[in-house]
Amino acid sequence: MAVAEAREPVRLKADTTDRFGLTWQPALAAGILANLDRIDVVEVIAEEQFSASSRAARALETLAQQVPLLVHGVALGPASTARVETRRLDRLARLVNRVKPAFWSEHLACVRAGNIEIGHLAAAPRTAATIDATAANLARAASVVGSRPMVENIATLMDPPASDRSEADWTSSVVGASGCDLLLDLHNVHANSLNFGFDPIDYLDTFDPERIGAIHLAGGCWIESTADDEGRERRYLDDHLHDVPDPVYSLLAEVGARVRRPLTVILERDGRFPPMQHLLWQLDRARAALAEGRLRAARYGAQGRK
Amino acid sequence: MRSEFEAFLARLYTDAQLRARFLANPRAEAERHQLTRDECEALERIDRAGLELSARSFAHKRTLKAAQRHRRTWLGRLTEAFRRRP
Repeated sequence: MAVAEAREPVRLKADTTDRFGLTWQPALAAGILANLDRIDVVEVIAEEQFSASSRAARALETLAQQVPLLVHGVALGPASTARVETRRLDRLARLVNRVKPAFWSEHLACVRAGNIEIGHLAAAPRTAATIDATAANLARAASVVGSRPMVENIATLMDPPASDRSEADWTSSVVGASGCDLLLDLHNVHANSLNFGFDPIDYLDTFDPERIGAIHLAGGCWIESTADDEGRERRYLDDHLHDVPDPVYSLLAEVGARVRRPLTVILERDGRFPPMQHLLWQLDRARAALAEGRLRAARYGAQGRK
Repeated sequence: MRSEFEAFLARLYTDAQLRARFLANPRAEAERHQLTRDECEALERIDRAGLELSARSFAHKRTLKAAQRHRRTWLGRLTEAFRRRP
């Protein structure tokens, strides 16, 4: 049964300062709770909460009383000509209603088609048709959940076939058509720029800076294809298992030089966890990078950009 | 963009045998799935290394998710408890 009839999507209340935080992981729980003076916000993965026990659900509500939460979806798959599934939207609506996050977000990805679960986030072919279909799915999601999601650019190891435009143009068009703000994953921009040879600064400049509402940071590594007639090829994988590389902090400074609105910056780490102090150090680096960019913009205006 | 094309891509990412047949002869396999001429041509130009690495990455994620689902079952929790026994 649908949780809610179609409702007018609302823009969630704007914050006034930048916030920095981490993705919730059970392995990091103790470290996060012990360092809430240095963590402004915590992102929870929606799908992990759907199957949580009642005890875990209560723990989440307790956490929400201590620190602002964000809800981040990984399995809706709005970048598809297929309609997003009602049962998934209903679950999201219930979670958002229960947790009352500062905002919720989802990836601009295709995760299933023809009853086949791909298993993760696949880039949709970049065409006018997928822009329209994605915007329609996001409108439906906003209507059921009660607020528009922020939408995240994804990392991909292959250029999706049948595309007729660049990733930046496609993503920017979806943002424009859907009215959703952008959750800009800078590590995904970095990874795709390495894999497909574009300038990440040009990518940033494709977007209206005021539509960028949040930032993701993460790390990755190089992987190699098996040898064929043309030899092996290397691609850079966004794996969330490594530290944030230096170029991503530089991109964050560039974002700071462009975006005036307050930003929420989340460090995503899904495994091979370092000590909490090391994660907090990376958050401090992110704070410094964003502040440096904002200072540059304040001093030099648009010339503060690279 | 047709849903049939999306479904074919999803199968390419997840079905190793189909992928092998496709990489051996992209046009023939695409035609066998009754894709349009434009779709077949797009698939002939596919990023082969990217396809292989994407498929590998998706398979890894599916394995992780299956293990996660198993850990949530009573049998999974029991197995985990036995594994942790001193």
